Parts: sequence; structure tokens; C-alpha cells
Amino acid sequence: MSSEILVTSTGLHALSYFIPVIFLSLVGFIILAMGTRNTGKSIMSWITFFTLAVGGVLTYLLTPIGTSIFGGTLVFNSFGLYFALIMIISSMFICYPALKGLTAKSEIFYATLLFVTVGMILAAFSYNLITLFISFEAVSIGTYVLASFGKSRRNLEGTVKYFFTGTIATAFILLGSSFFYLGTGTFNLSILATSIATPEISLALIFLIVGFGFKLAIFPMHQWAIDTYDGAENSVSAFLSAGSKVLAYVVILKVFLLGFSSDFKDVYYLFVILSILTMTYGNISALSQNNLKRLLAYSSVAQAGYLILVLAVVSSTGNITSGVASLAIASGMFYSLVYIFMKGGSFIALNSVNHESVELADVSGLAKKSPALAVSFAILLLALAGIPLTGGFFAKYLLFLSLIEGGLWWLAVIAILNSAISVFYYFRVIMYMFGRNPVGDQEFDLTRSVKVPVYASATITVVLSLMILWFPAVINIASGLFG
Amino acid sequence: MYWPGWFIFISPLIGFVLSYGIGRKRRNLAGIIASLSILGSLIASLVTFLQVQSSGAIYNHFQWFYNINAGIYIDHLSLVMAIMVSFVSLMIHLFAMYYMKDDPNRHIYFAETALFTAGMLGLVVASNLVLFFLFWELVGLCSYLLIGFWFFKPNAASAAKKAFIVTRVGDLLFLVGMALLYESLTGFTGLGSNSPLSIPFLITNASAISAYVGKATLGIVAVLFLAGAAGKSSQFPLHVWIPDAMEGPTTVSALIHAATMVTAGVYLVARVFNLFYFSADFALYSVVILGSFTAIFAGIVGLFVNDIKRILAYSTISQIGYMLSAIGLGGLFGYTGVSYGMFHLVVHAVFKALLFMSAGAILIALMDLRDTRLMGGLWKKMPLTITLLFIGSLALVAFPLTSGYFSKDTIIDASWVYYAHYGTVESFLPWLFLSLGALMTTLYTFRMFFRVALGKPRSHLAEHSKDPSIFALIPLFVLAFGSLTLGLIQTPFYNYIYSGSSLPTAVPFNIRMVPLAFLAIGIVVTYAIYGTDLWKKLDFSRNPLYKLGKNKFYLDYLFTNILAERAIVPLAAGFTLFENRYNRSVEKTGSEALKLGDIFRKIQNGVIENYFIILIMGISLIFIIIELVGVF
Repeated sequence: MSSEILVTSTGLHALSYFIPVIFLSLVGFIILAMGTRNTGKSIMSWITFFTLAVGGVLTYLLTPIGTSIFGGTLVFNSFGLYFALIMIISSMFICYPALKGLTAKSEIFYATLLFVTVGMILAAFSYNLITLFISFEAVSIGTYVLASFGKSRRNLEGTVKYFFTGTIATAFILLGSSFFYLGTGTFNLSILATSIATPEISLALIFLIVGFGFKLAIFPMHQWAIDTYDGAENSVSAFLSAGSKVLAYVVILKVFLLGFSSDFKDVYYLFVILSILTMTYGNISALSQNNLKRLLAYSSVAQAGYLILVLAVVSSTGNITSGVASLAIASGMFYSLVYIFMKGGSFIALNSVNHESVELADVSGLAKKSPALAVSFAILLLALAGIPLTGGFFAKYLLFLSLIEGGLWWLAVIAILNSAISVFYYFRVIMYMFGRNPVGDQEFDLTRSVKVPVYASATITVVLSLMILWFPAVINIASGLFG
Repeated sequence: MYWPGWFIFISPLIGFVLSYGIGRKRRNLAGIIASLSILGSLIASLVTFLQVQSSGAIYNHFQWFYNINAGIYIDHLSLVMAIMVSFVSLMIHLFAMYYMKDDPNRHIYFAETALFTAGMLGLVVASNLVLFFLFWELVGLCSYLLIGFWFFKPNAASAAKKAFIVTRVGDLLFLVGMALLYESLTGFTGLGSNSPLSIPFLITNASAISAYVGKATLGIVAVLFLAGAAGKSSQFPLHVWIPDAMEGPTTVSALIHAATMVTAGVYLVARVFNLFYFSADFALYSVVILGSFTAIFAGIVGLFVNDIKRILAYSTISQIGYMLSAIGLGGLFGYTGVSYGMFHLVVHAVFKALLFMSAGAILIALMDLRDTRLMGGLWKKMPLTITLLFIGSLALVAFPLTSGYFSKDTIIDASWVYYAHYGTVESFLPWLFLSLGALMTTLYTFRMFFRVALGKPRSHLAEHSKDPSIFALIPLFVLAFGSLTLGLIQTPFYNYIYSGSSLPTAVPFNIRMVPLAFLAIGIVVTYAIYGTDLWKKLDFSRNPLYKLGKNKFYLDYLFTNILAERAIVPLAAGFTLFENRYNRSVEKTGSEALKLGDIFRKIQNGVIENYFIILIMGISLIFIIIELVGVF
């Protein structure tokens, strides 16, 4: 399976593996200190951006691929590195657009963003329920703070809901981890040779999916997401639905494919049911939605449903070393990469509307005011719908291909039907942008901080469709999931 | 990676973007940019020629998707096509700068012709049938766009539609053939690491493939490919679109519907000739019979047409028939048949481009008056253009020592050898059709030429026509030179395509003289009728045979009025009726889904306690289901 040979490393020099993480945290504190001296927010945004960029490069260069430390608690492999880099990019992505919504205490925003990224990097390399829990919690708490930035009551309401549900999710994770320990006698996630399906394991399965599923917003743990994405600043919504979702996704991949490798039958049924419900619920609810932000939030729920199809495929084959399993995981990895750009970019595109709550009618006539922005937004929506020539198409194509190769063609049919439904509401948005005249004397915010990220994400989404050539490399990395 | 090989089709692609982008602001630059990009292709093709001379065929490819690869495969066959296409296209672009100089949308015209050339060259060098098909469709699209370039003319718009729909029939059959081939190759052990539809793989392993999939199956694949070729190369009965396509600009007719795109079908058959060769005998026999029948059929129809461009269009159909039958004769001659066909293809491209562009020059002088009955006496009015037309006509009728004589009479001779070898009635048909086709060619060509050139001007426009400037005609001189002299390279050309090629031998002198006799008869008859005023006094309009020919054997009537209007339109109406019923249920589903969405939205009421209730209920239910399923 993995071509990377694990080297166990102990001792103090293991600290050197944490240089990128330490670097990011240090700059976080420096930014906090700069806040006391009233440094301008745009300077801080640039510092954060470059710090994250440097952090990303450092992570790429310094991660000791193939090393496992602290008795298998942290495993550095290219699978984790791939996701760590994706999450760093998603943090970088919102530095600039976030400027728009920041009115005060911007140092806290940027410092928190850095701390959250640290948590994400650690989670990507963790192979132990305790360290996973801690890093996951670090991200959660950080995102509560990020979500609370903004001035309105709606905003606060969303944050409070997020906080309450997040806390409950934490409780579920802790309980689930305890049951897991009861069942297996370890917190480490590694493949178990024997098949055990004790009641403890079943309970752990349910509790952990509730706990981690909250962040991925899968049905029926999705409801906070709609209110919070709607209430939060656009850039924060972008982050919550992109970076923080990818985090939850990688954690779920690890916990359920490794930790429950002894109980794949239950994992299979669980994820088949969850993915069907999540896709269908998200898409159907989005159909009649007139609030654009909520529409995107529901679409984000539906996308989570597509993402967890991967677990259904892998657990149905039961053989994690098989080619189908690798293909499925690699397609999930590719999907996450495309997803952060298409989803993050769409939320940021809403920055062009100067309202607090963005209705569908608010984007009408955008094509007349700024054709380039409208076209870019349209590309992102088409990518979400999975229309060819965008990266989104190949992401879906590969995912559905792995479903069919894995023999789950009926599930593929359901997923494709769902995609077809989703085309309706994505095109509705495009129709509004291109087919209607602006309402009243609607003014769009067409400053650079809105345009540049949207152009960038649209371009990347299209360019990623060429990355299909690079896909075999991703398949090689995919087997790294299993340590 | 051998970059010049890729540059062959990438250069006009860049030209497409630039000539549109820059041409939007500076109309006059568009033509120059497009021509330069095609000059780039020509140079790249020549450089590749030298490379292939020293290192053999070039095959660069990468994995595209699944087990299909994409890339370039350049051997002698594709080089000949690439050089021919880029050279002829360059000449036509140069003339088009004159021809289109007053069109307000000429930047779109040049962008589209550059895109067309890119597609055509891409098709020529493609290494895989899937990529080949992609470019095949691209040229089809460009053909549609360019036929309808003057879309404000209703005739042009409907002609574009007709061309698109009719060629689609062939394309579909081609696609089915590809799918059948792909499917039947599964499990073939000789596949190795090759892609199943890769052209070099298909042509080198054709005999093993034939042994694996069976001669009959491969024959069906080959016939389906032939159907695709018939659509693109306008062979009977799918030829009906090409005469209508003459509504586009004349340079388009010269480029697409005479020299390059319509030969793509011939190229396809030549490209995968080995598949035809190693499959059942009916495959190559259907090629030869289709080609020779089309050659005579289109020749006959050409006799009844008065529009100068349409006469040339029917002659194109007929000449492509010659090329296909030459390849089909490969059943006896092997690869030598391909050499014969390809030489006629190249020669035809040169003289037909010349004919079309001289016709274009006439049409400019005559304000797009296309009826030959209203011309007359033009040799005196525009001596240069008509002399060029004359040279083209001589090559077309295979007048001795012109290039057409070498390329076409070789094919007719070869068909006699074919008969002499098999000695059956059905093997006699090709020779009969092809040599009678030679008579038809002479008749329709000189019928057109004498009407245009001799006599007195029969309209006001013809009286006041004059030659275009000599600079505009330079590309025509180049082509005229080619039409006269290309015969010199006959034997080297045959040997370049296939080193074992030889001229057909052992043809009796009498047989060899038959086409020449037909030529002489044709010229005498047409001069007697059309060189004088005799034709005005003849009236055949009541003769049933004349009616049959005049109505193109009712094929257009059959397709448009019977098949399309009587069968497909009512069928479509019936489907619509059914669909309306059915749609209502579909719409019902949609509106119900929207209602369901509303219900879901109500669940999302913003009260966080409810969220938890739903969570607990939902997850418990899921848990119970899992446990229940786990029990069974």
C-alpha cells in the first residue's frame, strides 16, 4: 500500500518537526501585540497572508514524510501534507476579502485565523483520537470567534447557535472517544486486523459521527450551518464552509476508515444513509430558497453529502488496499481541493452586494455592471453544479466513477440525479445575474478586495480541470491515509 | 516531445485567438495574422518533414483519460496531408484578404478559417481516433459557421443547417464504429500498454486485431467508418449538403468544401486502411463501389446544374469518389491503392482550389451572379481569370500532361487491372463507372467553361466585368503552376506514401485510350453545343430523363420533403404530444419538490431547541436502521 516507510522518531529533535506550527503561532502573537499599537488592518492582512504562505512552504519543505512520533500519535505523511496545504490555502484565501467586514479589533481576527490554521495542520497529521480532539477543538473555538465578527444581531444569533451546537458536538466527541476506548483499548487510529462489532463500537460510531459530522454539516447535524453561514460575514462563511469543512472531512476519513476498520459493515450502512439524506435534503431545500446566502449554505450541505460518498465506497469494498478504495479516496481529495475554491469563491462573490442579507434579486443585473465578476461567479456556480470544463466536473466525475467501479452504481444514480436537481438552483442564480436588470438604483461593491479573490478562484477552478493529468499522483498519495 | 509537430496545429489556434482579438479593433490585421499563423504551420510541417526523413515517424502522446491517450502521430501519410492543407489554406487565405476586403465582419471570418485550419491540421496529426473525432467535429462546426457566414441570407442559414444535420448522420455512424471497435478490443492480449484506439497501434497490429475480433466484425467497423467518411466527404447518398453549402463565401467553398475538409473522410479511410485491408472483403469492395458510383452519379447531376459554384461542387463530389475508389482498389493493390488515392487528393486540392478561386474572382466582378447562362464572353473581358479557370478545367478533365491526367488516369487504369484480376461482373463495375465518369467530367466542365468564356456577354454585369488586380491573383498563379506541373512528382509521391508502390501495368493500349477518347468526344460535343449558340435552341424540359437529372434524382426531395417533412416532423409532433402529457407529470415532480423544499425550510425555523430535537430523533432513527440492517 503506502510506499512511504514509517520511521519512528523519539526524543527532543522531534520538536524540529513543529517549526511551521511554531512559526505560525509566534506570528499570531506578534499580530496580537501589533493590535495594541493600532496598526492598520490592511497591513495585518498582508502580514497574515504572507505568514500563511511562508508557513505553507515551510510545512511543505520541513514535514518529515514517513515519520511517526509519540508512539503513532502524529504521523507525517503526504496524505496529511496534502490536506494541511489545502487548509492553509483556504485560510490564505480569506485574508484579503475579510478586510471588508472588519471594523474593529482586526488583530484578533487575523491572530485567530493563524491559530485556527495551526489547529488544522496538527489535525491533518494526527492519528490519535485525543490529539484529533484537541486540534479539532482548537479550530472550533477559533471559528466561534471568527464567526462573531460583524455588527448585526443576526450575526450574533448565528454565532451563538454555532457555539451551542459546537459545544454539544464536543460532548458527543468525548463520549464517543470513551466508548471507542472501551471497545478497542486504545485511542490510536490504526487498522485492526480482527473484526469486532461490540455494542461499544456501535455506540462510538454513532457518537463520533454526531460529533464530527456537525462541522461537516451533514444531515441531521446541519441546521446550525444554515443560520451561521447566513449570519456570518461572507468571508467567514467562506472559511467555515471551505477550510473548516475540509478539516472535518479529513478527520472523518481518518476516524471512520481507520478506527472502525473492524466494523466496516456498520460504517457502510451509516454513510450510505447519511449521504443520501444529506444530498437530497440539501438540494431540495435549496430549490425554493430566495436568500442567496442560505441557498449557498444548503448547497454546501449537499456537497458534504457528495464528499462522504467516498466513505461508503471504501467501506463497501471492505478492502482498503484495493484500487477502488484508492480511487475513491483520491477522488475525495481532489474534490476537497476544488471545493475550497468553488465554495469559498462563491461566498466571497457575495461581498459585491452591499446588503446584510443577500437575496437572489440583489445580484440581478450584476452582468451589466461588471461582466467579468458575473462570469467568474457563474463559473464557480457551474463548477458547483459539476458542468464540464470546470474542475468541479472532474471532481464529480471521478467521485461517481469510483462509485461505479466500486459496484455502487445505484448510489451513483442517486448522486447524479441529485446533481441534476442542483443545476436548477445554480442556474437560477446565473439567470438573475445575466437575465435581469438591476433592482432600483442598486449599487454593487466592485472594489478590488471583492474582485481579485473571485477572479482568482474562478481561474483556479478552470485550471484545476487540467490537473486531471496529475490525478495518478493523487492516487499514490491516497493510500497514505492508512498510516 | 517533438514541438514542431505540435506547433502544426497550435499555430493556427493561436492565430484564431489573435485574429479575433486584434481584429475586433483593427479589421485589416485579422487576415494578415491568420495567414501568418498558417504560414507558421506550413513551416512547421516542412521542418517536421525533414525530421521524419531523418528519424522516421513521430509518435508523441500522453495519457488523456482512462486508457485513451492523446497526442500526435506523424508519418508520411499525415505529412503529405499536413503540407497540402497548410499550403492550400495559406493560398486561400491570401486570396481571401482580397475577396473579403469589404466585409464588415472579416475578423470573424478569418478567426473562423484559422480555427478551421487548426482543426483540420489537428485531425491530420492526431494520434488517437478519439482525438481525431474531436477535431473531426471541430471542422464540422467551423464548416457550419462558415457556410452560414452570411447568415442574413436565408439560403445560407438553411444550407448551414442542412450541412450540419446531414454530416451528423455520418458522424454518428463513425462514433458507433469507434465504440464497436473499442468494445471488441477488450481482452485483446496484443494490446499491451497501448491505448485501444491509438492509430499507430491499430495500423501496426491490424492483422492480429482482425484475428482476434473476427473478419466480419472488423468489416462492420470498417463500413461504419466508411459511413462517417461518406458524410464528411459527401459521398452518395449523404452528398446532398455540399451543393447547398455553396451559399457561403467562395473562399470558404474553396478551402473547406473542395480542398481540405471534404477530403477528411478519404484521409480517415487511408489512415486506418489496414483495418479495411485485414477485414472481410466486403469492406474494401464497398469503398470502391461507393466511390465509383458516386463519381459517375455526381457527374451526371453536374450536367443539369447552371450555377457555376454548384457545378464545381458536384465535380468535387465526383472527384472524391475517384479518391475513395482508388483506396478501395487497395483490396487488390494493398497500400499502393492508398498512394493512388492520396495523390489524386493532393492534386485535386490544388486544381479545385484554383477553380473555386477563379470562380470567386468572376463572382466578385459579376456581383455574385452565379448563373452560367447569364455570363458568356468573359475570356475577352477578364483574360487572366478565365485563363486560370481554363488551366483548372484542363486539370480537372485530366487533359494529357496536366497533373489531373497523371493522378486520375492512373486510377482508371488500376480499376481495369482490378477487373482483369478478378474477371467478375461486379469487379467490372468500378472501371465502367470511373471511365464513364471521365466522360461526365469533361461534359460538365466544358459545358460550364464554354458558357462562361465564349460567345457574347449575356447580361449587363458580364459586359462590364474586368480582372481583379494582379496581386490578388498571385496565389492563383501559384496554384495554376501546381496544377500543370504536379504530375512530375507522380512516381516519387507514390513511393513516398508507400515504398512498394508501382504504376498499374499490363493495361491494354485500347483500354488506356478509353478515357482519352471520352475526353476528346466530350470536348467536341460540348464545343458544338455550348461553344456556339446551339444550346439556347435546345429544349429538353419535357423530357423525363432531363427532369430526373434536373431534380438531382429526387434525392433532395426524398430527404427534405419526404423523410424530414413527412416522416420526421410528424414523428416529432407525435413525440411532442406524448411529451406534453409526460411533461406535466415531470413538472408536477418539480413543483412537488419545490413544495418539499418549503416544508424543509419550515423545519429550519431558527429555534435551536428544535434543531436538537431533530438531531436526536434523526440520529436515533439512523442508528436503529443500521442496527436492524446489521441483524439481517
